[in-house]
Amino acid sequence: MILHHLRLTAFRAHAETQVSFAPKVNLVYGPNGAGKTNILEAIHYLCLSKSFLASQDGYALRRGAPYFELEGRFEGDRRSDLRVRLAYVPEQGKRILVNGAPLERLSEIVSMLPIVVFSPADHAITAEGPEERRRFLDNILSQARPVYLDDLLKYRRALRQRNELLSQYRGRPLRPEQEAALQSWEAELVLLGTRVIRRRLRFIDTFTRYLEDAYARFERVAEQPTMTYNGIAPLDLDADEEAIAEAFRRQLARVARRERERGRTLVGPHRDDLVFRLNGMEVRRYASQGQHRTFGMALKLAQCFYLHDRLEERPMLLLDDVFGHFDDERRAGFLDLLQSEAVGQSIITDTRLRPFAGVIPFDRPEHRAIPVGRGADRAIVSVETAVEPE
Amino acid sequence: MHILSESVEALVEQLTKLPTIGRKTAQRLAAYILKMPREEVVEIARALVAVKDRVVYCSVCFNVTDTDPCPICRSPRRDHSVICVVEEPNDVLALERTNEYRGVYHVLGGVISPLDGVGPEDLHIRELVARLNPEATPPGGDGQVAEAGASYPDGPRPAVQEVILAMNPNVEGDTTAYYISQLLKPFGIRVSRIARGLPIGGDLEYADEATLSRALEGRMTL
Repeated sequence: MILHHLRLTAFRAHAETQVSFAPKVNLVYGPNGAGKTNILEAIHYLCLSKSFLASQDGYALRRGAPYFELEGRFEGDRRSDLRVRLAYVPEQGKRILVNGAPLERLSEIVSMLPIVVFSPADHAITAEGPEERRRFLDNILSQARPVYLDDLLKYRRALRQRNELLSQYRGRPLRPEQEAALQSWEAELVLLGTRVIRRRLRFIDTFTRYLEDAYARFERVAEQPTMTYNGIAPLDLDADEEAIAEAFRRQLARVARRERERGRTLVGPHRDDLVFRLNGMEVRRYASQGQHRTFGMALKLAQCFYLHDRLEERPMLLLDDVFGHFDDERRAGFLDLLQSEAVGQSIITDTRLRPFAGVIPFDRPEHRAIPVGRGADRAIVSVETAVEPE
Repeated sequence: MHILSESVEALVEQLTKLPTIGRKTAQRLAAYILKMPREEVVEIARALVAVKDRVVYCSVCFNVTDTDPCPICRSPRRDHSVICVVEEPNDVLALERTNEYRGVYHVLGGVISPLDGVGPEDLHIRELVARLNPEATPPGGDGQVAEAGASYPDGPRPAVQEVILAMNPNVEGDTTAYYISQLLKPFGIRVSRIARGLPIGGDLEYADEATLSRALEGRMTL
């Protein structure tokens, strides 16, 4: 998939900005605070209907503006051109139009335009809490399978409903119909949660191979990366729905008393975790800074190849300020990969042009270096023409 | 804003209380009403008041009706052994438009949703169970199982054989369907849930992926 053209209106630092991209490697460079990351964020909005920064839509609105609007012209490997427009109006929310037709649900856009974000925040996936790993997992699976996202959103809804009921009933004896209502929500929770868990298990089974391949690209030392699902119970990766549902129900029964005391759901896919290991050692506890970085990059690269195989569409890579931590050899290796046919279009942000200029031939039409300046009111000074390397 | 007529302004204000009517639309409607012949306006006003004064909920199925029980519950031509359970009166209209369904209805008045403060006791679920219970007496009936050819509305109705759960296919609808199905288990009657899948006449390419995946999961052997 290729993004040819992007327009941002009243989006963060950008009053009105237009950017044209080349089909392979694009470098958006300029000083800090010029709005480089905003451009990647805008692309993320168009592809997945939200920001990759944990941030509310309202914060993306330029100060004093009544709404923001983004528009992208995409070309798919398999499908024809897609013109995607996203508008956000405070109080009214977001709306997405694809080729002029509004989407009924925002989630329909997910999986149309696959993307993978590399950012310094990836460190959190291996280093921080389970929530980060679930977010990573849900992001890939949602892009790969629209039905997963549908199940996940429904699971979260059922969870909120059940939690509401548990908090209403907290510590009180229940009448028979209240008991029955609680059981009905449990049944719905188990039904939807089982589907979510089953797809996660199947995914881990497949994804491990991609992770091994990707890790080997970054690390010449033979280290074996693995991942396991740490969920409601030890389950085989090919467990069927009945086995998962049974395990889920057993766990709910086990914590039933505590759930009634605390007034919320204590087990389920919303609490599950992924465990990453290198040669059997848990990355979160034992890995060095360098290993965290390598593991994070490998996860994202594996995501790219996995989505490519699954969707028969090369995902767009957004690389937000990630090259600063690389040594020369790694940077060169990664930039070679970005220029190869193995990956599709990529958009890199960095403060400097120099480290890239010698490696990527920006004079060729498939690559482009896009300078960003800090104007008085406009973030991007020059956008339309390819820039000669220094 | 300079108000030319307080009456017009009052009408606009009243109209904006209706769903999907914003101020602009209300002003357009008010201007139109102003031009209409007086008799037509009186008809509209009468119809509005009549809806509140005359329309009641059917004591059997809780659909909206002018007469209690409603025409469907009174009709001897309907199959009273099949009850289709729906959320709202509008769903009855939708199903009636199919001209396919010959059974009777039961309107719940919503779905179970703790986040909206709606529990089973806020819906007409107890009344549904009462319709299945042989001990419960139908309006005007004596509670005995009807023989073939029994005449309604005064005679007894045949025993219910099947309950079709036609709530919307979302989390709340599914949970309400589950709740009712559990409640009906002791009756030993057939309880079914309407199928979900693709809209007829819609092209596959325009169906969203999640709907399409569900339709694939629920495929049938030919």
